[in-house]
Amino acid sequence: MSPKLRLKLTRFAVRRLVAAFCVLTAPLAEIPVEPAKNSFASDAWKLPEGQPALRAGPGADLVTNNCLLCHSADYVATQPPLTRAQWQAGVEKMRGKFGAPIKTNDVTALVDYLTNNYGK
Amino acid sequence: MVTPDFPTLSRRGFLRAGSLLAASLSAFRLPGADSITLPFANGERPLVKYPQKRPLIRHTTRPPQLETPFSVFNESLLTPNDAFFVRYHLTNSPPKPEALQPDQFRLTVKGKVATPLTLSVEELKTRFEIAEVVAVNQCSGNSRGFFQPRVQGGQLGHGAMGCARWRGVRLADVLKAAGLDATAKQVVFNGLDTPFLPATPDFLKAIDADQALDPEILLAFEQNGEPLPWLNGFPLRLVVPGHYGTYWIKHLHEITATDAEFKGFFMNPGYRIPDDPCAAIEPGTTPKRTVPISRFNVRSFITSVEAGATLKAGVQTLLRGIAFDDGHGIREVVFSADGGRSWRAAELGKPVDKYAFREWTVAFTPERAGPLTLMAKATNRLGQSQPLEPLWNPSGYMRNCVEPISVHVA
Repeated sequence: MSPKLRLKLTRFAVRRLVAAFCVLTAPLAEIPVEPAKNSFASDAWKLPEGQPALRAGPGADLVTNNCLLCHSADYVATQPPLTRAQWQAGVEKMRGKFGAPIKTNDVTALVDYLTNNYGK
Repeated sequence: MVTPDFPTLSRRGFLRAGSLLAASLSAFRLPGADSITLPFANGERPLVKYPQKRPLIRHTTRPPQLETPFSVFNESLLTPNDAFFVRYHLTNSPPKPEALQPDQFRLTVKGKVATPLTLSVEELKTRFEIAEVVAVNQCSGNSRGFFQPRVQGGQLGHGAMGCARWRGVRLADVLKAAGLDATAKQVVFNGLDTPFLPATPDFLKAIDADQALDPEILLAFEQNGEPLPWLNGFPLRLVVPGHYGTYWIKHLHEITATDAEFKGFFMNPGYRIPDDPCAAIEPGTTPKRTVPISRFNVRSFITSVEAGATLKAGVQTLLRGIAFDDGHGIREVVFSADGGRSWRAAELGKPVDKYAFREWTVAFTPERAGPLTLMAKATNRLGQSQPLEPLWNPSGYMRNCVEPISVHVA
Protein backbone atom coordinates (compact mmCIF):
# COMPACT_ATOMS: atom_id res chain seq x y z
CA MET A 1 0.00 0.00 0.00
CA SER A 2 1.40 3.37 -0.97
CA PRO A 3 1.94 5.94 1.82
CA LYS A 4 -0.52 8.21 0.00
CA LEU A 5 -3.24 5.58 0.02
CA ARG A 6 -2.48 4.71 3.65
CA LEU A 7 -2.86 8.40 4.62
CA LYS A 8 -6.12 8.56 2.68
CA LEU A 9 -7.47 5.48 4.45
CA THR A 10 -6.37 6.82 7.84
CA ARG A 11 -8.08 10.12 7.15
CA PHE A 12 -11.19 8.26 6.07
CA ALA A 13 -11.15 6.15 9.26
CA VAL A 14 -10.70 9.26 11.43
CA ARG A 15 -13.55 11.03 9.66
CA ARG A 16 -15.77 7.99 10.18
CA LEU A 17 -14.88 7.93 13.86
CA VAL A 18 -15.58 11.63 14.26
CA ALA A 19 -18.84 11.28 12.39
CA ALA A 20 -19.90 8.33 14.54
CA PHE A 21 -18.97 10.27 17.68
CA CYS A 22 -21.04 13.23 16.53
CA VAL A 23 -24.05 10.98 15.86
CA LEU A 24 -23.73 9.40 19.30
CA THR A 25 -23.44 12.65 21.18
CA ALA A 26 -25.77 14.85 19.14
CA PRO A 27 -28.92 15.74 21.05
CA LEU A 28 -31.91 13.80 19.79
CA ALA A 29 -34.65 15.82 18.17
CA GLU A 30 -37.08 17.41 20.61
CA ILE A 31 -40.73 17.14 19.72
CA PRO A 32 -41.70 20.57 18.41
CA VAL A 33 -44.81 22.29 19.69
CA GLU A 34 -45.54 23.94 16.37
CA PRO A 35 -46.39 21.80 13.35
CA ALA A 36 -44.47 22.09 10.10
CA LYS A 37 -45.82 24.78 7.75
CA ASN A 38 -47.33 23.73 4.48
CA SER A 39 -47.77 25.41 1.18
CA PHE A 40 -51.29 25.17 -0.14
CA ALA A 41 -50.67 27.24 -3.23
CA SER A 42 -50.71 24.35 -5.68
CA ASP A 43 -53.79 22.61 -4.32
CA ALA A 44 -56.75 22.51 -6.62
CA TRP A 45 -60.19 22.95 -5.05
CA LYS A 46 -61.28 19.58 -6.25
CA LEU A 47 -62.35 16.63 -4.14
CA PRO A 48 -61.04 13.21 -5.11
CA GLU A 49 -63.64 10.63 -6.05
CA GLY A 50 -63.58 6.86 -6.14
CA GLN A 51 -66.02 5.40 -3.69
CA PRO A 52 -66.04 1.60 -3.40
CA ALA A 53 -68.49 -0.42 -5.48
CA LEU A 54 -71.37 -2.15 -3.72
CA ARG A 55 -71.20 -5.94 -3.53
CA ALA A 56 -73.26 -7.47 -6.33
CA GLY A 57 -76.42 -9.25 -5.27
CA PRO A 58 -80.21 -9.06 -5.24
CA GLY A 59 -81.22 -5.68 -3.82
CA ALA A 60 -78.01 -3.81 -4.69
CA ASP A 61 -80.09 -1.59 -7.00
CA LEU A 62 -82.25 -0.61 -4.02
CA VAL A 63 -79.17 0.73 -2.24
CA THR A 64 -78.07 2.58 -5.36
CA ASN A 65 -81.49 4.18 -5.85
CA ASN A 66 -82.41 4.94 -2.22
CA CYS A 67 -79.18 5.44 -0.32
CA LEU A 68 -76.50 6.69 -2.69
CA LEU A 69 -78.45 9.87 -3.48
CA CYS A 70 -77.13 11.33 -0.24
CA HIS A 71 -74.04 9.35 0.70
CA SER A 72 -71.37 7.16 -0.81
CA ALA A 73 -71.35 3.37 -0.65
CA ASP A 74 -68.51 3.39 1.89
CA TYR A 75 -71.10 4.42 4.49
CA VAL A 76 -72.27 0.81 4.10
CA ALA A 77 -68.99 -0.89 3.25
CA THR A 78 -66.98 0.42 6.23
CA GLN A 79 -69.45 -0.87 8.83
CA PRO A 80 -68.50 -3.91 10.89
CA PRO A 81 -70.56 -7.03 10.20
CA LEU A 82 -73.91 -5.96 11.69
CA THR A 83 -76.88 -8.03 12.76
CA ARG A 84 -80.12 -7.95 10.83
CA ALA A 85 -81.66 -5.95 13.68
CA GLN A 86 -78.87 -3.34 13.40
CA TRP A 87 -79.28 -3.01 9.62
CA GLN A 88 -83.06 -2.81 10.10
CA ALA A 89 -82.55 0.03 12.62
CA GLY A 90 -80.20 1.80 10.21
CA VAL A 91 -82.70 1.63 7.36
CA GLU A 92 -85.54 2.83 9.64
CA LYS A 93 -83.41 5.76 10.79
CA MET A 94 -82.62 6.79 7.22
CA ARG A 95 -86.32 6.53 6.25
CA GLY A 96 -87.80 8.07 9.38
CA LYS A 97 -85.26 10.73 10.36
CA PHE A 98 -83.29 11.53 7.19
CA GLY A 99 -86.08 11.33 4.64
CA ALA A 100 -84.62 8.56 2.48
CA PRO A 101 -87.25 7.82 -0.21
CA ILE A 102 -87.47 4.09 0.58
CA LYS A 103 -90.84 2.57 -0.26
CA THR A 104 -92.47 0.51 2.50
CA ASN A 105 -92.48 -2.54 0.19
CA ASP A 106 -88.73 -2.24 -0.37
CA VAL A 107 -87.62 -2.18 3.27
CA THR A 108 -87.41 -5.97 3.69
CA ALA A 109 -85.48 -6.46 0.44
CA LEU A 110 -83.09 -3.66 1.39
CA VAL A 111 -82.45 -5.11 4.85
CA ASP A 112 -82.02 -8.56 3.25
CA TYR A 113 -79.36 -7.21 0.89
CA LEU A 114 -77.47 -5.39 3.67
CA THR A 115 -77.61 -8.38 6.03
CA ASN A 116 -76.60 -10.88 3.33
CA ASN A 117 -73.70 -8.78 2.07
CA TYR A 118 -72.56 -6.71 5.08
CA GLY A 119 -74.06 -8.60 7.99
CA LYS A 120 -73.32 -11.40 10.34
CA MET B 1 -55.88 32.03 26.95
CA VAL B 2 -52.60 30.27 27.64
CA THR B 3 -52.86 29.50 31.34
CA PRO B 4 -50.06 31.13 33.28
CA ASP B 5 -51.14 29.50 36.55
CA PHE B 6 -49.92 26.06 35.57
CA PRO B 7 -46.72 24.77 37.13
CA THR B 8 -43.89 25.05 34.66
CA LEU B 9 -41.72 22.02 34.30
CA SER B 10 -38.48 22.35 32.44
CA ARG B 11 -38.15 20.62 29.10
CA ARG B 12 -35.01 18.66 29.79
CA GLY B 13 -33.39 15.90 27.83
CA PHE B 14 -36.38 13.75 28.68
CA LEU B 15 -38.28 15.42 25.91
CA ARG B 16 -35.99 14.03 23.29
CA ALA B 17 -37.30 11.48 20.93
CA GLY B 18 -35.56 8.16 20.48
CA SER B 19 -34.61 8.21 16.83
CA LEU B 20 -34.43 4.44 16.78
CA LEU B 21 -38.05 4.28 17.79
CA ALA B 22 -39.06 6.33 14.81
CA ALA B 23 -38.17 3.37 12.63
CA SER B 24 -40.72 1.19 14.39
CA LEU B 25 -43.63 3.60 13.94
CA SER B 26 -46.70 2.84 11.91
CA ALA B 27 -47.00 -0.86 12.53
CA PHE B 28 -50.10 -0.98 10.40
CA ARG B 29 -48.74 0.94 7.46
CA LEU B 30 -46.26 -0.28 4.90
CA PRO B 31 -43.90 2.32 3.43
CA GLY B 32 -45.47 3.87 0.37
CA ALA B 33 -48.70 1.96 0.83
CA ASP B 34 -51.91 3.66 -0.18
CA SER B 35 -54.02 1.97 2.42
CA ILE B 36 -53.99 1.38 6.16
CA THR B 37 -55.60 -1.37 8.21
CA LEU B 38 -57.10 -0.20 11.48
CA PRO B 39 -56.90 -2.99 14.08
CA PHE B 40 -60.54 -4.10 14.06
CA ALA B 41 -62.74 -6.21 11.77
CA ASN B 42 -63.27 -4.59 8.34
CA GLY B 43 -60.66 -1.95 9.21
CA GLU B 44 -58.93 -1.50 5.85
CA ARG B 45 -59.15 2.08 4.53
CA PRO B 46 -57.54 3.92 1.63
CA LEU B 47 -55.09 6.76 2.28
CA VAL B 48 -56.32 9.59 0.06
CA LYS B 49 -55.02 13.08 -0.58
CA TYR B 50 -57.53 15.93 -0.39
CA PRO B 51 -56.99 19.65 -1.09
CA GLN B 52 -54.66 21.16 1.56
CA LYS B 53 -54.23 17.71 3.10
CA ARG B 54 -51.57 15.02 3.05
CA PRO B 55 -52.91 11.49 2.40
CA LEU B 56 -55.34 10.73 5.25
CA ILE B 57 -57.37 7.68 6.26
CA ARG B 58 -60.57 7.93 4.27
CA HIS B 59 -63.65 6.49 5.91
CA THR B 60 -66.23 7.95 3.56
CA THR B 61 -66.20 9.83 0.26
CA ARG B 62 -69.48 11.73 0.12
CA PRO B 63 -69.49 13.58 2.41
CA PRO B 64 -65.79 13.23 3.26
CA GLN B 65 -64.71 11.80 6.58
CA LEU B 66 -60.94 11.65 6.97
CA GLU B 67 -58.91 10.44 9.94
CA THR B 68 -55.40 11.44 10.98
CA PRO B 69 -52.86 8.57 10.77
CA PHE B 70 -51.81 8.00 14.38
CA SER B 71 -48.08 8.49 13.74
CA VAL B 72 -48.84 12.21 13.16
CA PHE B 73 -49.41 12.66 16.90
CA ASN B 74 -45.71 11.96 17.46
CA GLU B 75 -44.64 14.72 15.03
CA SER B 76 -45.58 17.76 17.11
CA LEU B 77 -47.94 18.73 19.90
CA LEU B 78 -49.98 20.84 17.52
CA THR B 79 -51.50 18.70 14.80
CA PRO B 80 -50.49 20.05 11.37
CA ASN B 81 -53.37 21.52 9.39
CA ASP B 82 -52.69 19.19 6.49
CA ALA B 83 -53.17 16.18 8.78
CA PHE B 84 -56.12 17.46 10.82
CA PHE B 85 -59.15 15.13 10.76
CA VAL B 86 -62.29 15.94 8.76
CA ARG B 87 -65.83 15.01 9.73
CA TYR B 88 -68.92 16.09 7.80
CA HIS B 89 -72.55 14.98 8.11
CA LEU B 90 -74.41 16.35 5.11
CA THR B 91 -74.19 15.57 1.40
CA ASN B 92 -73.22 19.03 0.19
CA SER B 93 -69.99 19.15 2.17
CA PRO B 94 -67.69 20.93 2.14
CA PRO B 95 -69.58 23.96 0.74
CA LYS B 96 -68.35 25.14 -2.65
CA PRO B 97 -65.34 27.47 -2.38
CA GLU B 98 -67.16 30.31 -4.21
CA ALA B 99 -69.64 30.68 -1.31
CA LEU B 100 -66.76 31.01 1.14
CA GLN B 101 -64.88 33.86 -0.53
CA PRO B 102 -64.68 37.26 1.25
CA ASP B 103 -67.10 38.95 -1.17
CA GLN B 104 -69.71 36.24 -0.62
CA PHE B 105 -69.37 34.94 2.92
CA ARG B 106 -71.29 36.69 5.71
CA LEU B 107 -72.06 35.72 9.30
CA THR B 108 -75.53 36.69 10.47
CA VAL B 109 -76.56 36.97 14.12
CA LYS B 110 -80.33 36.98 14.60
CA GLY B 111 -83.29 35.78 16.63
CA LYS B 112 -83.60 36.99 20.23
CA VAL B 113 -81.17 39.88 19.85
CA ALA B 114 -81.72 43.64 19.96
CA THR B 115 -79.70 44.35 16.79
CA PRO B 116 -79.32 41.61 14.19
CA LEU B 117 -75.85 41.68 12.64
CA THR B 118 -74.42 40.77 9.25
CA LEU B 119 -70.64 40.64 9.28
CA SER B 120 -67.83 39.70 6.93
CA VAL B 121 -64.80 37.94 8.39
CA GLU B 122 -62.85 41.15 7.87
CA GLU B 123 -65.43 43.08 9.91
CA LEU B 124 -65.22 40.49 12.69
CA LYS B 125 -61.43 40.98 12.75
CA THR B 126 -61.63 44.76 12.95
CA ARG B 127 -64.69 45.24 15.20
CA PHE B 128 -63.80 42.73 17.92
CA GLU B 129 -60.79 41.91 20.07
CA ILE B 130 -58.71 39.00 18.75
CA ALA B 131 -58.37 35.98 21.05
CA GLU B 132 -56.46 32.71 20.87
CA VAL B 133 -56.63 29.27 22.43
CA VAL B 134 -54.63 26.09 21.90
CA ALA B 135 -57.26 23.40 22.19
CA VAL B 136 -57.96 19.80 21.29
CA ASN B 137 -60.85 19.07 18.98
CA GLN B 138 -62.08 15.50 19.19
CA CYS B 139 -64.92 13.73 17.42
CA SER B 140 -67.57 12.29 19.77
CA GLY B 141 -67.06 8.93 18.06
CA ASN B 142 -63.26 8.92 18.10
CA SER B 143 -62.14 5.27 18.59
CA ARG B 144 -65.66 3.94 17.87
CA GLY B 145 -64.19 1.04 15.88
CA PHE B 146 -62.87 -0.46 19.12
CA PHE B 147 -66.31 -0.76 20.73
CA GLN B 148 -67.36 -4.28 21.68
CA PRO B 149 -70.02 -5.17 20.81
CA ARG B 150 -69.51 -3.10 17.66
CA VAL B 151 -71.96 -0.26 17.01
CA GLN B 152 -73.08 1.56 13.85
CA GLY B 153 -71.46 4.82 12.80
CA GLY B 154 -68.05 5.94 11.55
CA GLN B 155 -65.65 3.11 12.43
CA LEU B 156 -62.84 5.38 13.59
CA GLY B 157 -59.46 4.51 15.02
CA HIS B 158 -57.91 6.95 17.50
CA GLY B 159 -57.17 9.64 14.91
CA ALA B 160 -60.39 11.68 14.89
CA MET B 161 -58.75 14.22 17.19
CA GLY B 162 -56.23 17.00 16.87
CA CYS B 163 -54.78 19.92 18.76
CA ALA B 164 -54.39 23.34 17.14
CA ARG B 165 -53.87 27.01 17.89
CA TRP B 166 -57.21 28.64 17.10
CA ARG B 167 -57.39 32.38 16.55
CA GLY B 168 -60.56 34.39 16.22
CA VAL B 169 -62.95 36.60 18.14
CA ARG B 170 -65.01 35.79 21.21
CA LEU B 171 -68.55 34.59 20.59
CA ALA B 172 -69.55 36.46 23.77
CA ASP B 173 -68.36 39.79 22.33
CA VAL B 174 -70.37 39.26 19.14
CA LEU B 175 -73.50 38.24 21.08
CA LYS B 176 -73.11 41.31 23.30
CA ALA B 177 -72.72 43.57 20.26
CA ALA B 178 -75.96 42.12 18.91
CA GLY B 179 -77.63 42.64 22.30
CA LEU B 180 -78.51 39.08 23.30
CA ASP B 181 -81.97 39.18 24.82
CA ALA B 182 -82.36 38.24 28.49
CA THR B 183 -85.14 35.84 27.47
CA ALA B 184 -82.84 33.89 25.12
CA LYS B 185 -82.63 30.26 26.23
CA GLN B 186 -80.28 28.79 23.64
CA VAL B 187 -78.04 29.89 20.80
CA VAL B 188 -78.18 27.81 17.60
CA PHE B 189 -75.29 27.51 15.14
CA ASN B 190 -75.52 26.68 11.44
CA GLY B 191 -72.83 26.10 8.83
CA LEU B 192 -73.03 26.38 5.04
CA ASP B 193 -73.03 22.61 4.52
CA THR B 194 -76.47 21.41 3.43
CA PRO B 195 -78.34 18.14 2.91
CA PHE B 196 -79.21 16.79 -0.55
CA LEU B 197 -82.89 16.09 0.24
CA PRO B 198 -85.14 18.79 1.73
CA ALA B 199 -86.47 16.16 4.17
CA THR B 200 -83.02 15.59 5.72
CA PRO B 201 -82.39 17.63 8.88
CA ASP B 202 -79.77 20.35 8.60
CA PHE B 203 -76.74 20.05 10.87
CA LEU B 204 -77.56 22.58 13.58
CA LYS B 205 -76.16 22.62 17.10
CA ALA B 206 -77.36 24.52 20.17
CA ILE B 207 -75.76 25.58 23.40
CA ASP B 208 -77.43 27.23 26.37
CA ALA B 209 -77.44 31.04 26.26
CA ASP B 210 -75.47 31.44 29.51
CA GLN B 211 -72.79 29.05 28.25
CA ALA B 212 -72.66 30.92 24.93
CA LEU B 213 -71.39 33.95 26.86
CA ASP B 214 -68.35 31.99 28.08
CA PRO B 215 -65.39 34.13 26.89
CA GLU B 216 -63.43 30.97 25.96
CA ILE B 217 -65.70 30.11 23.03
CA LEU B 218 -64.31 31.54 19.79
CA LEU B 219 -65.43 32.26 16.27
CA ALA B 220 -62.13 31.18 14.75
CA PHE B 221 -60.73 32.16 11.37
CA GLU B 222 -57.18 30.82 11.83
CA GLN B 223 -55.80 27.40 12.64
CA ASN B 224 -52.11 27.15 13.51
CA GLY B 225 -51.39 30.60 12.11
CA GLU B 226 -53.06 30.04 8.75
CA PRO B 227 -56.60 30.57 7.50
CA LEU B 228 -58.74 27.54 8.38
CA PRO B 229 -58.32 24.79 5.79
CA TRP B 230 -61.31 24.41 3.49
CA LEU B 231 -62.16 21.01 4.98
CA ASN B 232 -61.86 22.30 8.55
CA GLY B 233 -64.39 25.09 8.22
CA PHE B 234 -62.95 27.95 6.13
CA PRO B 235 -63.52 30.82 6.62
CA LEU B 236 -65.08 30.65 10.12
CA ARG B 237 -65.80 27.94 12.68
CA LEU B 238 -66.97 27.69 16.23
CA VAL B 239 -64.32 26.61 18.74
CA VAL B 240 -65.72 25.28 22.01
CA PRO B 241 -62.65 24.30 24.08
CA GLY B 242 -63.02 21.13 26.13
CA HIS B 243 -66.16 20.09 24.22
CA TYR B 244 -66.64 17.45 21.54
CA GLY B 245 -66.25 18.43 17.91
CA THR B 246 -69.96 18.16 17.18
CA TYR B 247 -70.32 21.70 18.58
CA TRP B 248 -67.43 23.15 16.55
CA ILE B 249 -69.68 24.14 13.61
CA LYS B 250 -67.68 24.62 10.40
CA HIS B 251 -68.31 27.31 7.73
CA LEU B 252 -70.37 29.00 10.46
CA HIS B 253 -72.71 31.54 8.84
CA GLU B 254 -75.75 31.75 11.09
CA ILE B 255 -76.13 32.31 14.82
CA THR B 256 -79.72 32.35 16.08
CA ALA B 257 -80.75 33.08 19.66
CA THR B 258 -83.95 31.23 20.59
CA ASP B 259 -86.36 31.57 23.51
CA ALA B 260 -87.11 27.83 23.56
CA GLU B 261 -84.94 24.75 23.69
CA PHE B 262 -83.83 23.85 20.17
CA LYS B 263 -85.10 20.42 19.10
CA GLY B 264 -83.20 19.61 15.91
CA PHE B 265 -82.20 16.03 15.06
CA PHE B 266 -78.52 16.50 15.85
CA MET B 267 -79.39 17.62 19.40
CA ASN B 268 -82.11 15.04 19.95
CA PRO B 269 -82.01 12.11 19.27
CA GLY B 270 -78.58 12.70 17.68
CA TYR B 271 -75.42 13.08 19.78
CA ARG B 272 -76.95 11.91 23.07
CA ILE B 273 -75.22 9.93 25.80
CA PRO B 274 -76.66 7.92 28.67
CA ASP B 275 -77.50 10.24 31.58
CA ASP B 276 -74.91 8.68 33.85
CA PRO B 277 -71.59 10.02 35.19
CA CYS B 278 -69.65 7.55 33.00
CA ALA B 279 -71.89 7.94 29.91
CA ALA B 280 -72.02 4.16 29.91
CA ILE B 281 -74.53 1.33 30.19
CA GLU B 282 -74.44 -2.47 30.08
CA PRO B 283 -73.23 -3.48 26.60
CA GLY B 284 -76.06 -4.24 24.22
CA THR B 285 -78.74 -2.45 26.26
CA THR B 286 -80.64 0.84 25.71
CA PRO B 287 -80.26 3.86 28.01
CA LYS B 288 -83.31 4.92 30.05
CA ARG B 289 -82.48 8.62 29.90
CA THR B 290 -80.11 10.54 27.67
CA VAL B 291 -78.51 14.00 27.66
CA PRO B 292 -76.61 15.89 24.95
CA ILE B 293 -72.93 14.95 24.74
CA SER B 294 -70.78 17.80 26.03
CA ARG B 295 -67.29 17.75 27.63
CA PHE B 296 -64.29 15.52 26.97
CA ASN B 297 -63.33 12.86 29.46
CA VAL B 298 -59.65 12.16 30.27
CA ARG B 299 -57.56 10.37 27.63
CA SER B 300 -53.93 9.46 27.12
CA PHE B 301 -51.98 7.73 24.38
CA ILE B 302 -48.51 6.36 23.81
CA THR B 303 -47.39 7.99 20.55
CA SER B 304 -43.74 6.99 20.09
CA VAL B 305 -44.43 3.27 19.62
CA GLU B 306 -47.32 1.59 17.91
CA ALA B 307 -48.61 -1.94 18.45
CA GLY B 308 -46.28 -4.58 17.01
CA ALA B 309 -43.13 -2.48 17.41
CA THR B 310 -39.87 -4.12 18.48
CA LEU B 311 -37.85 -2.79 21.43
CA LYS B 312 -34.35 -3.96 22.37
CA ALA B 313 -33.73 -5.78 25.64
CA GLY B 314 -31.34 -3.94 27.94
CA VAL B 315 -31.49 -0.74 25.88
CA GLN B 316 -33.10 2.33 27.42
CA THR B 317 -35.70 4.03 25.27
CA LEU B 318 -37.64 7.19 25.92
CA LEU B 319 -41.31 6.53 25.47
CA ARG B 320 -43.51 9.47 24.71
CA GLY B 321 -47.16 10.23 24.52
CA ILE B 322 -49.95 12.75 24.94
CA ALA B 323 -52.75 13.27 27.45
CA PHE B 324 -55.67 15.69 27.58
CA ASP B 325 -58.96 16.39 29.31
CA ASP B 326 -61.69 19.01 29.12
CA GLY B 327 -59.56 21.86 30.46
CA HIS B 328 -59.13 21.09 34.13
CA GLY B 329 -55.57 20.10 33.31
CA ILE B 330 -53.61 16.86 33.47
CA ARG B 331 -52.15 16.27 36.91
CA GLU B 332 -50.41 12.95 36.38
CA VAL B 333 -49.64 10.30 33.79
CA VAL B 334 -48.56 6.86 34.95
CA PHE B 335 -46.93 4.17 32.85
CA SER B 336 -47.00 0.39 33.09
CA ALA B 337 -44.91 -2.14 31.20
CA ASP B 338 -46.41 -5.24 32.81
CA GLY B 339 -50.01 -5.06 31.66
CA GLY B 340 -51.13 -2.81 34.51
CA ARG B 341 -49.74 -4.72 37.53
CA SER B 342 -47.34 -1.94 38.45
CA TRP B 343 -47.26 1.74 37.51
CA ARG B 344 -44.77 4.55 37.74
CA ALA B 345 -45.04 8.26 37.09
CA ALA B 346 -44.14 9.67 33.70
CA GLU B 347 -42.59 13.12 33.38
CA LEU B 348 -45.05 15.74 32.19
CA GLY B 349 -43.97 18.23 29.53
CA LYS B 350 -44.49 21.95 29.85
CA PRO B 351 -48.21 22.73 29.49
CA VAL B 352 -49.00 24.58 26.26
CA ASP B 353 -52.59 25.42 27.25
CA LYS B 354 -55.04 23.79 29.63
CA TYR B 355 -57.06 22.61 26.62
CA ALA B 356 -54.05 21.34 24.63
CA PHE B 357 -52.33 17.98 24.30
CA ARG B 358 -49.95 17.56 27.24
CA GLU B 359 -46.75 15.72 26.40
CA TRP B 360 -45.41 13.02 28.72
CA THR B 361 -42.25 10.95 28.57
CA VAL B 362 -40.84 8.03 30.47
CA ALA B 363 -37.42 6.33 30.26
CA PHE B 364 -37.91 2.61 29.94
CA THR B 365 -35.48 -0.33 29.64
CA PRO B 366 -37.08 -3.66 28.71
CA GLU B 367 -35.24 -6.34 30.70
CA ARG B 368 -35.64 -9.49 28.62
CA ALA B 369 -36.85 -10.67 25.27
CA GLY B 370 -40.49 -11.53 24.77
CA PRO B 371 -43.89 -9.89 24.49
CA LEU B 372 -44.74 -6.82 26.58
CA THR B 373 -47.88 -4.77 27.14
CA LEU B 374 -47.35 -1.02 27.59
CA MET B 375 -50.01 1.24 29.08
CA ALA B 376 -50.41 4.90 30.00
CA LYS B 377 -53.08 6.31 32.30
CA ALA B 378 -53.76 9.99 32.93
CA THR B 379 -55.50 11.73 35.83
CA ASN B 380 -56.70 15.32 35.74
CA ARG B 381 -56.75 17.92 38.51
CA LEU B 382 -60.28 16.89 39.52
CA GLY B 383 -59.02 13.33 40.07
CA GLN B 384 -60.87 12.02 37.01
CA SER B 385 -58.95 9.25 35.28
CA GLN B 386 -59.29 6.47 32.72
CA PRO B 387 -60.89 3.07 33.26
CA LEU B 388 -58.75 -0.03 32.60
CA GLU B 389 -61.65 -1.73 30.86
CA PRO B 390 -63.63 -0.04 28.05
CA LEU B 391 -67.07 1.36 28.81
CA TRP B 392 -69.94 1.03 26.35
CA ASN B 393 -72.83 3.10 25.01
CA PRO B 394 -74.98 2.47 21.92
CA SER B 395 -73.61 5.37 19.85
CA GLY B 396 -69.94 4.55 20.37
CA TYR B 397 -69.11 7.88 22.01
CA MET B 398 -66.50 9.01 24.53
CA ARG B 399 -64.19 5.97 24.62
CA ASN B 400 -61.45 6.82 27.11
CA CYS B 401 -60.14 3.59 28.58
CA VAL B 402 -56.44 2.86 28.94
CA GLU B 403 -55.22 1.70 25.50
CA PRO B 404 -52.76 -1.20 25.92
CA ILE B 405 -50.04 -1.54 23.29
CA SER B 406 -48.48 -4.93 22.67
CA VAL B 407 -44.82 -4.76 21.67
CA HIS B 408 -42.06 -7.30 21.22
CA VAL B 409 -38.71 -7.18 22.97
CA ALA B 410 -35.82 -8.71 21.03
